[in-house]
Amino acid sequence: MKNSLLALSAVFALFMTSCSNDDDATSEEALTGSGEISLTYDNGFNGNDLVLGTANAANANGETITINRFNYIISNIRLVNKDGEEFVYAKDDSYFIINQENEEDQVALADVPAGEYTTLKFGVGVDQEKYLQGAEGQGDFLTLAEENNMMWAWQAGYKFLNFEGTFTSATITEATEFKIHMGSHGSSLDNYKEVTLELPENVVVGDGIDSNIHLKIDASKILAGATTNIELTEKSVIMVDAEKSPQIAVNTSEMFVVDHVHNGNGH
Amino acid sequence: MLKVTLYTALLSLVFWSCNSSDDTYETINEPLEFSVPSNFPDAVYNLEANPPTTIGFELGKKLFYDGRLSSNGFISCGFCHEQRTAFTHHGHQFSHGIDDLEGVRNTPAIQNAAFMKEFAWDGATNHLDLFPIIPITNEVEMGETVSGVLAKIKSDEEYQNLFASAFEDGEVNNENFLKALAQFMVMMVSADSKYDKYVRQEEGGTFTDEEKEGFTVFTNKCASCHTSDLFSDDAFRNNGLAPNPSLNDIGREEVSGDATDRYKFKVPSLRNVELTAPYMHDGRFGTLEAVLDFYSNSVTDSPTLDPILNQDGELGIALTNYEKTTLLAFLGTLTDETYINDERFAEY
Repeated sequence: MKNSLLALSAVFALFMTSCSNDDDATSEEALTGSGEISLTYDNGFNGNDLVLGTANAANANGETITINRFNYIISNIRLVNKDGEEFVYAKDDSYFIINQENEEDQVALADVPAGEYTTLKFGVGVDQEKYLQGAEGQGDFLTLAEENNMMWAWQAGYKFLNFEGTFTSATITEATEFKIHMGSHGSSLDNYKEVTLELPENVVVGDGIDSNIHLKIDASKILAGATTNIELTEKSVIMVDAEKSPQIAVNTSEMFVVDHVHNGNGH
Repeated sequence: MLKVTLYTALLSLVFWSCNSSDDTYETINEPLEFSVPSNFPDAVYNLEANPPTTIGFELGKKLFYDGRLSSNGFISCGFCHEQRTAFTHHGHQFSHGIDDLEGVRNTPAIQNAAFMKEFAWDGATNHLDLFPIIPITNEVEMGETVSGVLAKIKSDEEYQNLFASAFEDGEVNNENFLKALAQFMVMMVSADSKYDKYVRQEEGGTFTDEEKEGFTVFTNKCASCHTSDLFSDDAFRNNGLAPNPSLNDIGREEVSGDATDRYKFKVPSLRNVELTAPYMHDGRFGTLEAVLDFYSNSVTDSPTLDPILNQDGELGIALTNYEKTTLLAFLGTLTDETYINDERFAEY
């Protein structure tokens, strides 16, 4: 009895020690050099997992949507540390495509300077500055965009969001296609939007400390947006719509939240 | 004995030179000078981001005339952009692309692209580097994908060598592909017409009285849209052409999505205009006479008609027959023989 109690307390002690190891990893003295931060873009729809080809429960506009394609461009990633200093990820390396079909939901940021960061900033789409660089530093991304259905055919520009599927509503009872391709309209309309997200807890990174920021995306907000409602029943193909495309750009920028952070051991 | 030695020496010489061609040759890439004509504004293209070089230019030219940029292997850029007609498609209202498919727009000239802010009739891109993507991926033009084109040229040893010599990273990739084409097009400057010699007071620049009068008419009646020595302000304008219902081309609205841009098209440069028939974005006019008659008689009103062509309810541009004659004479001075015969840009 005594032995088992001793064994039990030993195990307990071990338990406690192993727990406190995590705390050591986040103590300031340990933060030197740099580490990797990965961003997980966890796509969902109205609180549920986003599953392609499956009908979701009707949204706030009374439309039942089945998503067949959900791709978007993330760019210009920055992190602000607790001293208010901003780390800008190398611009030329800072363009990514999240493609639900490929189930690619991770963005890996290498060599993030050691520190504790409070805020994540990024852009949705491609900024005008990048466009005006021409092929300089953009060439490979053009190929990536082409491969992921993010190139527009009639203009040399990107789709920032490629959102397609079918829907039904009270008045449209037969499954009808919807296609939303949102991007900038040549030099006329810049639909690039910036997102700033406060992290629920600081993300820590340094030598030997790789961490993860887990974002959750609610695709339903593209249509049932906080600012504007987009009813597919009214118009189901939106590509270069001077009125609706900017609304969708705003809605899309509002579909991101940071759900949680994993510090240390990457994810 | 001497004969044998000589023969052997000769033979070995032959073999030696044959061997040399198997070695990866190190060709030195040199900068190409881009000079802005004194009567031109500054270049818009960022020459520092993609400085023209001898090998980059040659590579761009090779790509420009390479049918592999299309899905059927023979529609190159040069197929529709023919040098002798200032890189337009002579005699074609619309060009036929792959599978003999036709588009709805007339092939525009390629000249002075380094000075342009918008490209294509509807400004589908505002950067020259990105322009090739449009005809390459257009289903009725070259019907390819950029990655498809790259795969084809990557497997070509000559291209591998050219890319290796032309670019620091030596890669056959998208960025270098587009940059090479841009280097070629950037160098295509047309600034040696009789008009240019006249304004720069160079030899060969003596205007006839008729041409001088035409220049005056032009300045008063055409230059508000066809501005500067580039002969275009690069703006999107509706010049009063009645829409062709079978084409249904909404022009700039295609790109901007804005109804106020409906039927607006980019003001084309008038350089080499005598060579670039037929005229307008849809090539509807076969002669310059027909164009001038249109401006004086047939400009139609619409919500997006350019205000310049609607002065106090008077539509179009009032032109007497005499003024038209002198204008045509003046427009003839914009032909640049140097440009259309410049071997640097020639296919052969």
